[in-house]
Amino acid sequence: MNKMFEFAIRRQWSGILAVIIAGAVGLSIIAPAFLTSFNWFVMLRSVCVSILVAFSQMVMLGVGQMNLSVGALGGLVAIIVGGLMDAWGWPALPAIAVALMVGGLAGFINGWLTVRTGINGFIVTLATASAFAGINLGITKAVPFYNLPSNFLAFGNGKIGFFPILLVVPLIVTFALAVFFSRSVEGRYLLAVGGNSTSAELSGISVSRAIVISHIISGLLAAAAGVLAVAQLGSAQPTIGADWLVISFAAPIIGGASLSGGSISIVGTVIAVLLVGLIQNAMVLLAVDPYWVTFLLGALILVAVWINRYRAVHLDED
Amino acid sequence: MNDNFSRTPSRGIADLLIRGSGRFGLLFILLVLWIVFSSLSPGFLSRFNLGSMFRSVAVDVVVGFAQMVVLAIGGMNLSVGAIGVCAVMSAGYFLQVLNFPLPIAIVATLGVGGLLGWLNGVAIAKTGVNSFVVTLASASLFSGGMLILTKGVPLNALPPGLGSFGRMSFGPVPALALVTIAIGIVLHTVFFHTTLGRQILAAGANARAAEMSGIRVNRIVVVAHSLSGMLAAAAALMLTARLGAAMPSVAGDDWVLPSFLAPVIGGTALSGGEVSVVGAILGALLVATIRSGLLILQIGDFWLQLFLGVFLLAAIMFERYRATLMLRQQVRHL
Amino acid sequence: MPLVLDRVEKSFPGVRALKGASLVLAAGEIHALMGENGAGKSTIIKIITGVHKPDAGKVSLDGKEISLSSPRTAISLGISAVHQERNLIPRFSIAENILLETLPVHRGLIDFRRANIEARCHLQMVGLDIDPATEVRRLSVAQMQMVEIAKALSHDAKVLLLDEPTASITDAESEILFRLVRQLRDRGTAILFVSHKLEEVLSLCDRVTVLRDGETTLTSAPMKEMTRRTLIEAMIGRAERPTIPRASTPIKGPPKLEVRNVATKSGHQSISFSLRKGEILGLYGLVGAGRTELARALIGKERVTSGDILVDGKVARPRSVADAIQRLRMGYVSEDRKHEGVILAHPIRSNIAITIWSRIANRFGFLTEKLEREIAEPLSRQLDIRSPSLEQIVGALSGGNQQKVSLAKWLAADVDILIVDEPTVGIDIKAKAIFHELLNALADKGLAILLISSDMPEMIALADRILVMHNFRIIDDLVNDKRYDATSLAIMSAIHAVEQGSEDQRTTMS
Repeated sequence: MNKMFEFAIRRQWSGILAVIIAGAVGLSIIAPAFLTSFNWFVMLRSVCVSILVAFSQMVMLGVGQMNLSVGALGGLVAIIVGGLMDAWGWPALPAIAVALMVGGLAGFINGWLTVRTGINGFIVTLATASAFAGINLGITKAVPFYNLPSNFLAFGNGKIGFFPILLVVPLIVTFALAVFFSRSVEGRYLLAVGGNSTSAELSGISVSRAIVISHIISGLLAAAAGVLAVAQLGSAQPTIGADWLVISFAAPIIGGASLSGGSISIVGTVIAVLLVGLIQNAMVLLAVDPYWVTFLLGALILVAVWINRYRAVHLDED
Repeated sequence: MNDNFSRTPSRGIADLLIRGSGRFGLLFILLVLWIVFSSLSPGFLSRFNLGSMFRSVAVDVVVGFAQMVVLAIGGMNLSVGAIGVCAVMSAGYFLQVLNFPLPIAIVATLGVGGLLGWLNGVAIAKTGVNSFVVTLASASLFSGGMLILTKGVPLNALPPGLGSFGRMSFGPVPALALVTIAIGIVLHTVFFHTTLGRQILAAGANARAAEMSGIRVNRIVVVAHSLSGMLAAAAALMLTARLGAAMPSVAGDDWVLPSFLAPVIGGTALSGGEVSVVGAILGALLVATIRSGLLILQIGDFWLQLFLGVFLLAAIMFERYRATLMLRQQVRHL
Repeated sequence: MPLVLDRVEKSFPGVRALKGASLVLAAGEIHALMGENGAGKSTIIKIITGVHKPDAGKVSLDGKEISLSSPRTAISLGISAVHQERNLIPRFSIAENILLETLPVHRGLIDFRRANIEARCHLQMVGLDIDPATEVRRLSVAQMQMVEIAKALSHDAKVLLLDEPTASITDAESEILFRLVRQLRDRGTAILFVSHKLEEVLSLCDRVTVLRDGETTLTSAPMKEMTRRTLIEAMIGRAERPTIPRASTPIKGPPKLEVRNVATKSGHQSISFSLRKGEILGLYGLVGAGRTELARALIGKERVTSGDILVDGKVARPRSVADAIQRLRMGYVSEDRKHEGVILAHPIRSNIAITIWSRIANRFGFLTEKLEREIAEPLSRQLDIRSPSLEQIVGALSGGNQQKVSLAKWLAADVDILIVDEPTVGIDIKAKAIFHELLNALADKGLAILLISSDMPEMIALADRILVMHNFRIIDDLVNDKRYDATSLAIMSAIHAVEQGSEDQRTTMS
């Protein structure tokens, strides 16, 4: 029994996977509605945005920084893409392209400010979050954009069996990030900077460049999340992104990322998001107070970090 | 060349000027803004506007204090808002449902805040986990838990005592502002004139050195976080007094950014080991002045948020510049 | 001529680190760079490796003036370095670390198979037989050092810079390094060897440049003409002033501190010794022997797993550092001054009073700066702390003065037992001598002192008795008769005997 426990903890995400499977089994017994095609469609669709949001922060954790503007940025991009399609009548693809560019630009601003001013990334992104949220309010005056082109809406609603078309995006991104961080020089350099920025610098790696690049990627991912959120909801709500911050940290951390930088787990992050998605689904099916999700999320983070420490201290793993 | 210490008194004044220059600078900017705003719109200096501004600043300052005591120890408390909401609803519950007399309700609410802060502190000290993560998690835990218990229903039928205190003023100075000043005086005394304060600042500046000098750092961490929780609860009580009702929609995430803004603009170091009570007050006043001024000039919320973000960055850059200058000055005198 | 620094100057806020330093590093030579801490060695290293840019003066390579604007530029110009602190990425494999700047790429992606093969070659050169896919954080300090050396060597650099490369490795590994360095020299590489170990430098290097207070006092002097004495003179400006050895009176009386058969979580076994009032007990050992860990166990920071610690005859295992200080009246002057000894950002007066805040405060916990000053001022005078004011933040003081502050706070606490860990590392010779006199005086006044040091002359001048530590055990306990040659020989023989014994064991077992 002890051996199994040790194995589960050694690969952090395998433990979570076990919990997910157990939970899914249990849930299907208690609430048969869980196993319907429609329910799976809804559940899988709901994790699409969260996966991208989690990745957006995960990239920053990899380089040893953080991005508190993930939600505000994503929300702003959501408004922009919705506004372009609704107020200016743009077709979907150009609107999405511009939205992503805005995300990349915003990320660049974050990175540039952090590097140029030398101010802690925490403060910089706290400030830009406020700025982005302000611009959001200024554009929408709190009124959503509703008139979206039908092909865009179809993308958001489409499915094959229970598999949402929307899920294609996170799948592609997951694969791309996995290759990026394990096999590309640029990605390894990001992790090197996160692992020990002084050493990286002395080996000739540009720390500033790594920070700016990771912010740009983070911004692009947050922007993509914003676009998907609009597709999922069918309208561009100004409140998109308001509650992204917690999950953006929770998922990578639960998935095993190190807060000091340089160690992230793509698989772990995705599985963590799946866990949260499962919990949310369970809450709905069992008609439990939705506030329980918030509560459990906090508890999960604490358990995950505790396990992390346990591994580091007792098993010499980390 | 050991004739040094006779120069200490004058060094003291020069010292004060250098150390205090950040604060004087803030005061100066504050006055300039007041002059600018009042000339653009005389309503700025009206008793009504000043009164309402001071009332909300009073709360903001205490929220800033709640973050300041944790920044002092080199950590941060992302759950100030969540503790605030819990305290608001606890206060409502104690007053309206359990019908506690006002003083008991106040003490009980502070106790709730202190308890939640204590939980944070213990989690951080016992597990050695970063305060960012722990308080991020506890923020969810606390607000989720509170919403589960209250179902988000506001309590509007509070006994009048608290509300009328909230509306009271002595001349242009609201009673709430006096509470803030009192809290500020206590905090200043603690940080600069007590053992506890010294230990907090030492642990914040260099926890290893502090521990190797005999300071029980874990205990200090717990105390700092408990204090933070209590201050958040105090701010919550003041807010409830101002609003006259206990609503779960206030506080919460709204408090997080301002809780950092005020102390950091005012000179409290993000990395720990240095605080400024006066600075936090001035910082909050500055933010409130800008907000009030923009409101009076009927410039919308859009500009405010944007401006606050930019302003925060500018303030920090200035602070870093001043700190480097200070170090240069000090070393030159060697 | 590969590398020339011509009257280079560099200043930082408030400090003139280099006032006109020159260095001529020729191809095919091992060139020593020596100087006391604070003389400017690390600034020169940072300039050569592109971390800092000089304020004035020229740097030229192969006759052409160059501007080393970043580490990347330096590396691209053929300058490679092994720094004093470890500079590896902990979670990356050995191969990735070694080949970090030149990762083999196949169709856009990293080819790890080839990387491992290439890395294995480099590892073989330094005699390290480990799987290159191993994560670096799993290696020992010595192994990491060898990996860094392999990494520097893999660049086939024109200029190789080694900063205290033998600090954490064994003699055997140092020999491998020296052999490689000589091979590189014979192949034409220019090697800059920074070390404070005089014997090493005298035997290995061809030429020497000496820095003192930001200026060069000796440039490219041939090593053949140097002696230990001339080198020291160049570094400090006058001949080494030997510390007047402590009078050899036998210390009598009951032990103040007794350690019986103690084992610790860090790995100590059967540690036994006693320390009397007024005695200076030396604890000698090489890097990695376990001395600091033992000190930390005594002061309550690390855990004692078995055995007894007695103070004044009563069993007294410290439950925490605070407990050791307050109940057992012990003090510990840490070897890591900047991170443990002082709080750099705070003023002198609070750094000195920190150990007794609760004692000087009144019943309600109130205390004033005036009270702190009253404690700090006399101590500051006694220890001759150079500063215009007690409000000066400690970070702005020189290393020697910082160390004095680090000691002063224990005097303020009026401790009975003082553990002093490598007290004079990185301090100029004058301050060193003052420190030694201080320790003598404190012992004479009745303090029980445990002196941890790897500086043999310091140890022999000060200690009444010397414990020799090796591999977390005490292997010898000698009375110090102050005869340098005899005593130092006895100590080194003891260590070699044990090392030889375990070496023999390993050979017989394999």
